[in-house]
Amino acid sequence: MIPEHMKQELVKRVSGAITNREAAVDVMKELQRHYGWLSDEAVQEAADVLGLSPLQVEELATFYEMIYRRPVGRHVIHVCDSVSCWSMGGESLLQQLERVLEVNVGATTADGIFTLLPCCCLGNCGKAPAVMVGERLYGPVTPEGAEAFIKGLIESSA
Amino acid sequence: MVNLTIDDKQVTAPKTATIYEAAKLNGIAIPILCHDKKLKPFGACRMCLVEVEQMKGRQIPACTTPVTEGMIIRTSTPDIVKARKMVLELLLLNHPIDCPVCDKAGDCDLQNLTYEYKVDANRFTDEKFHHEIDYNNPLIERDMNRCVLCGKCARICDEIVSFGALTFISRGIETKIGCEFDEALNCEFCGSCVSVCPVGSLLARPFKFKARFWSLTKNKSVCGYCGTGCNLTLGVKDNKVLTTLYDENQGFHNGQLCVRGRFGYQFINSDKRLTKPLVRKNGKLEEAGWDEALELVAARLKDAGASTAALATARLTNEELVVFKQLLQTAGCGNYDHSAGYAHAALTEGFAGSFGASASPSTILDIQKSDLLLVIKTDAYETHPVVGFEINMAVKNKGTLLKILTDKSGKLSKLPDARTLVHTPGSEIAIINSLAKVILDNKLVDASAAALPGYAALEKELAAFTPEAVSAQCGLTAVEIKLLASAYATAEKALILFPVGQAYPGHTAALANAVANLALLAGKLGKEGGGVLCLSEKNNSQGAVDMGFQAGIGAGRIIDGCADGSITTLFLAGENPLVSYPDHARVQAALDKVEFLVVSEMFLTETAAMADVVLPVCSFAEKEGTFTATDRRVQHIKPAIRKVGQSRSDFEIFGALIAKLGGVAPGTPASVFAEISATVPGYTGMSYASLGVEGQFAPVELKPAFVMPNAPAVTVEPGKLALVTGSALYHNGTLSQYGEGPMHVCPEGYVEISRADAAASRFAENDLLTVSSAGGSMKLKAHISARMPQGVVFAPYHFGANPVNQVWSGAPVTWITLAK
Ligand code: SF4
Ligand code: SF4
Ligand code: SF4
Ligand code: FES
Ligand code: FES
Repeated sequence: MIPEHMKQELVKRVSGAITNREAAVDVMKELQRHYGWLSDEAVQEAADVLGLSPLQVEELATFYEMIYRRPVGRHVIHVCDSVSCWSMGGESLLQQLERVLEVNVGATTADGIFTLLPCCCLGNCGKAPAVMVGERLYGPVTPEGAEAFIKGLIESSA
Repeated sequence: MVNLTIDDKQVTAPKTATIYEAAKLNGIAIPILCHDKKLKPFGACRMCLVEVEQMKGRQIPACTTPVTEGMIIRTSTPDIVKARKMVLELLLLNHPIDCPVCDKAGDCDLQNLTYEYKVDANRFTDEKFHHEIDYNNPLIERDMNRCVLCGKCARICDEIVSFGALTFISRGIETKIGCEFDEALNCEFCGSCVSVCPVGSLLARPFKFKARFWSLTKNKSVCGYCGTGCNLTLGVKDNKVLTTLYDENQGFHNGQLCVRGRFGYQFINSDKRLTKPLVRKNGKLEEAGWDEALELVAARLKDAGASTAALATARLTNEELVVFKQLLQTAGCGNYDHSAGYAHAALTEGFAGSFGASASPSTILDIQKSDLLLVIKTDAYETHPVVGFEINMAVKNKGTLLKILTDKSGKLSKLPDARTLVHTPGSEIAIINSLAKVILDNKLVDASAAALPGYAALEKELAAFTPEAVSAQCGLTAVEIKLLASAYATAEKALILFPVGQAYPGHTAALANAVANLALLAGKLGKEGGGVLCLSEKNNSQGAVDMGFQAGIGAGRIIDGCADGSITTLFLAGENPLVSYPDHARVQAALDKVEFLVVSEMFLTETAAMADVVLPVCSFAEKEGTFTATDRRVQHIKPAIRKVGQSRSDFEIFGALIAKLGGVAPGTPASVFAEISATVPGYTGMSYASLGVEGQFAPVELKPAFVMPNAPAVTVEPGKLALVTGSALYHNGTLSQYGEGPMHVCPEGYVEISRADAAASRFAENDLLTVSSAGGSMKLKAHISARMPQGVVFAPYHFGANPVNQVWSGAPVTWITLAK
């Protein structure tokens, strides 16, 4: 359960929106920040706050790839697999990251620190291949630089 | 109207029409896949592409584009045909194309369009879908591999059913239709989604692998369950009703049905049907010939004469009821009734006094034309689900205001801006009187009211019903009552709806009078979209009233008469009082005591098992006649199959008995209907031909007057819970127990309790609780829900295996205790 003050804050934000639905992404992101992912409980809570049915929240939640309906690691690495990044080696980068992290794409490392996911164009094509971790964009991240990139992430979060 | 050209033809169409509708109106077919005339335009599939000259020949969807003056449209140029082929190729790309094992084959839009457009190859290749098939519920199979993502299922479940069980999830390349938390489907199982699915993604499981669509004979009929009177199409093969089929053009409801109508047909060809007469010999019911059985009954009726009584189910046809009356009169029997007596009192006593007619002034068609609906008890949705759909659509599409006076909240409470006033059980009449009082005090009275008989007396008698006085005992505040009264009075067109039935003993003649007073005071009668509609329980409840199947001492005292020996012979035509009448012990003692019990029935019900003679009768699907729906729509039914076994219609049985008693047996149902149309008020001039396929309303002539209702005082028993009885959504009377669909999803009784009461007593879901009242005790499973107010519990009747009348003696509110 989310703490009462958080709930109040969310309710306030929803009431400030023109329609409840437009606040949905905001609410889901806050709940995700709280739980680490959007659990079934969080979907239910979002529905309560938004005055929608859980199914209506689910429809929105499963549309956005940055809303996680399954548990994820502390850092989620989104690797762009759209066309610009693909032509600049995005595919090899993803494979390289799988090797460095020792996980398959879509999975979380055994220590629970990283989840590796492909994603759609990040709007960062000029710096392809592009990667996004949390709310921060990186690029270009070359396949050769994959190992260094992960090291950098570990160091900066340590 | 606008003028336009479609395929070089000059045509006109209403301003609001889409291109698709304009074409259809003018006999030009444009193929569709995601469009449905009952749903809002969606534009998902692109099958309906057409070219519009003014749009530089661009291809645009006909189903979402409104017509404009002078539009020049082409619906099937070579480019359009090419585009449609491509749409089909893309749809078939991930589709399994498993038509040989798909139940939808022959009735599948995708298959038919693929055939029509000769798509015999695909230029693209891709992986097929790999979705797990949902076999988790017994009624609806969900195979999302066949889905074309037209969204019709999700839209109908939202727009008409207002349940919201389905939606698009994981939108994008992996989009599929999913349920809450991507779990199995668990909903009200009305099957609306199945009926509109253009492919074999949603299928009726009870019909799976039963027959190919094209091998079925399609027979039009009328649903045999509730008083809504929905029209059905029965799918018949080898003299068996195998399914109900969807016809979007059928009835006022456009083919919409509830779970009972759609999935409850199996009683027709059930193995449990009685096929031969049974006669009790040496204490045991044994098979006998018709002659023997009828001789026995005729001889008894002759002997017993005036000490005979009869109770009929309101599921018999009008003609059967008329002939039954004739039989009873021939036998000298003056005591007969239906619907436990009290379940028709709102009409036969209430409206008869208030309106001078035993029928509702309004019809179901008024619902969507109304500005404000006042529904007494959320149960109206459960008792008459397709009426519920009309309410959903009025509120969601037309902005009709919805006010609910109820003893528990319910599905209707969830509609947008619905105002639900939850009062203490049994106080509805006082509250309605109080609404009338506010209308008087606030000078909201319609000019027509003061001239009506009884006005002055009403004014005086209502003095005691100030909102302040009533609010003290009803659980609502005076302000809530006043606000509701003024909303009701000031709405241009306002319609009051309330269900009646054997499980609603509080919905009495007095309630009908109270409701009628309110409508008369506020001047709501006689306007389209306004008035009062009493929702009666069975498919021919209104017909039984119109045929006057009621004489003498009434159903309650007939049961007493059996117990005290003044009635020696009882004829039950389809009634199952042991389960559906109040006070099980009392009914049992009466049936034990009565010397001779004859039951005409489809099944060996709990009641039939006590009989001396059981006469096997046929279902509505095997007979001819008329039914009158709750709003006096008279409809004609014809046999869809031959009679099962040796069963006969009640019509034939009553006729044969009349002959044996020396009377003149009636001719055919048609000749009896001709008699009805010559004698029954409102039915004048009707004929099978005039009824047609849509039926015909028997007009109701009103002679309004004010009749002061008695508001019964409810004595609260402290420390106890208030038990209210009612209908479960999945059932109607006791017949639905023989329909497999309803029993799959709701197989047994339960007691529904509030979260607070459950928590206080530490009851968990499905705990087996002992329910005890002054009348007795029984065990029922606990069902904990958010809709029950604290202190109030609900139990549905219907169930013969463990009937609720073991604790319920017919009071509107029964005080009980619960224990684990
Ligand atoms: S059966 Fe009725 S309630 Fe259930 S998903 Fe289909 S339309 Fe909705
Ligand atoms: S399941 Fe049927 S109705 Fe629903 S989206 Fe798929 S094809 Fe359309
Ligand atoms: S039970 Fe009533 S609402 Fe349901 S389909 Fe039959 S007539 Fe219609
Ligand atoms: S394609 Fe990768 S960021 Fe645009
Ligand atoms: S029918 Fe018009 S887009 Fe589907």
